Amino acid sequence: MEGLFYNVSNGYIEGVVRGYRNALLTGQNYNNLTQCETIDDVKLQLGPAYGDFLASLPPNPSTSALADKTTEKLVAEFRYLQANATGSLAKFMEYLTYGYMIDNVALLITGTLHERDTRELLERCHPLGWFETMPVLCVATNIEELYNSVLIETPLAPYFKGSLSHHDLDELNIEIVRNTLYKNYLEDFYQWVNTHPDVKGTPTAEVMSEVLEFEADRRSINITLNSFGTELSKQDRKKLYPNFGKLYPEGVLLLSRADDVEGVRLAVDGVSEYKTFFDQTGLSQGSGGAVSNMAGGAGGETKSLEDLFYQKEMEISKLAFTRQFTHAVVYAWVKLREQEIRNITWIAECIAQNQKERIGNYISVF
Amino acid sequence: MSGSAASKLPPARESVFPTRQMLGQMKSKLKGAQTGHDLLKRKSEALTKRFREITRRIDEAKRKMGRVMQIAAFSLAEVTYAVGGDIGFQIQESAKSARFRVRTRQENVSGVLLPRFEAFQTDGNNDFQLTGLGKGGQQVQRCRETYARAVETLVELASLQTAFVILDEVIKVVNRRVNAIEYVIIPRTENTIKYIMSELDELDREEFYRLKKVSAKKERDAQVAEKERLDKADDARAAAEADRAVETKDVLGEGENEDVIF
Repeated sequence: MEGLFYNVSNGYIEGVVRGYRNALLTGQNYNNLTQCETIDDVKLQLGPAYGDFLASLPPNPSTSALADKTTEKLVAEFRYLQANATGSLAKFMEYLTYGYMIDNVALLITGTLHERDTRELLERCHPLGWFETMPVLCVATNIEELYNSVLIETPLAPYFKGSLSHHDLDELNIEIVRNTLYKNYLEDFYQWVNTHPDVKGTPTAEVMSEVLEFEADRRSINITLNSFGTELSKQDRKKLYPNFGKLYPEGVLLLSRADDVEGVRLAVDGVSEYKTFFDQTGLSQGSGGAVSNMAGGAGGETKSLEDLFYQKEMEISKLAFTRQFTHAVVYAWVKLREQEIRNITWIAECIAQNQKERIGNYISVF
Repeated sequence: MSGSAASKLPPARESVFPTRQMLGQMKSKLKGAQTGHDLLKRKSEALTKRFREITRRIDEAKRKMGRVMQIAAFSLAEVTYAVGGDIGFQIQESAKSARFRVRTRQENVSGVLLPRFEAFQTDGNNDFQLTGLGKGGQQVQRCRETYARAVETLVELASLQTAFVILDEVIKVVNRRVNAIEYVIIPRTENTIKYIMSELDELDREEFYRLKKVSAKKERDAQVAEKERLDKADDARAAAEADRAVETKDVLGEGENEDVIF
């Protein structure tokens, strides 16, 4: 039923996004990229997909310049879609940008706390997370002013409200602030896709629920793993877990009590996917101290937990394209493109640093 | 160079008065110079040995640095991949006090003070342990450790390089001194001694000659005096004989005595 009228307002955008999806690099492209000897070759290989955006790069560009240009293309295309979106899709795309906004706001708060010239920071902000009132954040010189008069005006205000006071901004580690915001954002987004009249009950809600649940679980697991050995207390940690997802509520409760990797493994035992991840990374037999969910230097063959999460995210994003009449393709496309940029950066780094043995560490799903 | 120049130049000597006292001084100076030369030579050898060792270690450290820095740079690439963005600013802002510190110590190598840098990490000073909490935190920590190792290598290299520069300087100075003593001071002192000796010999000869001259003259004078004396004696005897001939008369005779008046 929902398919009947979807194309009336959102058909064009869906078509465009599917077109963009076809422009994503395939396994064959990645193979070609890994064969490159210099960054220039990489640039050449990326020609068909990125053409104009890479044209202005000097010969042998740095990897960060390459990443910047590829991000620029993503932003340009996103802006185009956003300009054409209406109704619930417009709102949906706004939600997509909130995640980046949180990063930007966290950056600016850090700048304000350390009394830096925040104007310089504006350039470092992620362009997708740009919002109109963001430059105003630079006007505030102290954190109370920032909180009371500026943050209220931002789209992120609801996420601050109720969970963070201006004292918290001052006292809490910025990472905790960021993760609290992100938690609120995920919950709000989840709430929105499941209650908004235009979205509720559509494939959008279905796909997005899965995506967001996965995202929430991933964050919970990562936060837990990364908090071992730090000053983050268990109560504080618990506040950072989003209150939904496959792990919620039992798994989250167990996570909040976990002291080591073994505890995390027990917590995720209930969800078979995550359990397989842990089995694959060999974390389950690992002794408590040896937390190695990184793409470890020596252990090149076994994928890290982080890699597996990215892999899973890409799978979900890929599957989103099998559904029609859904906003989720936009989300999936953005995620796939982000991964693509990361892959390109990784390959370029490997080539630039002559570390060819790990070049195959990218994630390609097409 | 020094040899050829020295050979062309007339052997230099110190401007001293060739006296016996000065000769004694010069001899002790030569002895001192030779002892000093031996000592300095030994010092130079010890330093050179150390220098070679440091050169070797610098070579090793540089190679190690190459490897470590490569790994470190790559771990940063891993962080970029895992976090999916630039975390430089966050890291910079959350760092409050230095965790990695360097202290200096002095090491004495044959009288040369070499600074030695020691790296150490202050515990419980982990400013950005929460960075990348959401994702990539492990990589961030790992990257930090890798870079800490890289900086350790750099510190080691820095202390070696400083020692290298200082030792180089010192070895140059010592070698210059050794050469100066060997090629300038010792020959010059020897020359001076030779000069003093020759002068003294000269003086001796002069003195001898003078003495000879004096004694010859004295002899001549003596001869003349003797001769004169003999002549005089002859004269006197002749006169006496003449007198005796003339005056051999009876004193109690006809000769009238002058009255003795008291």
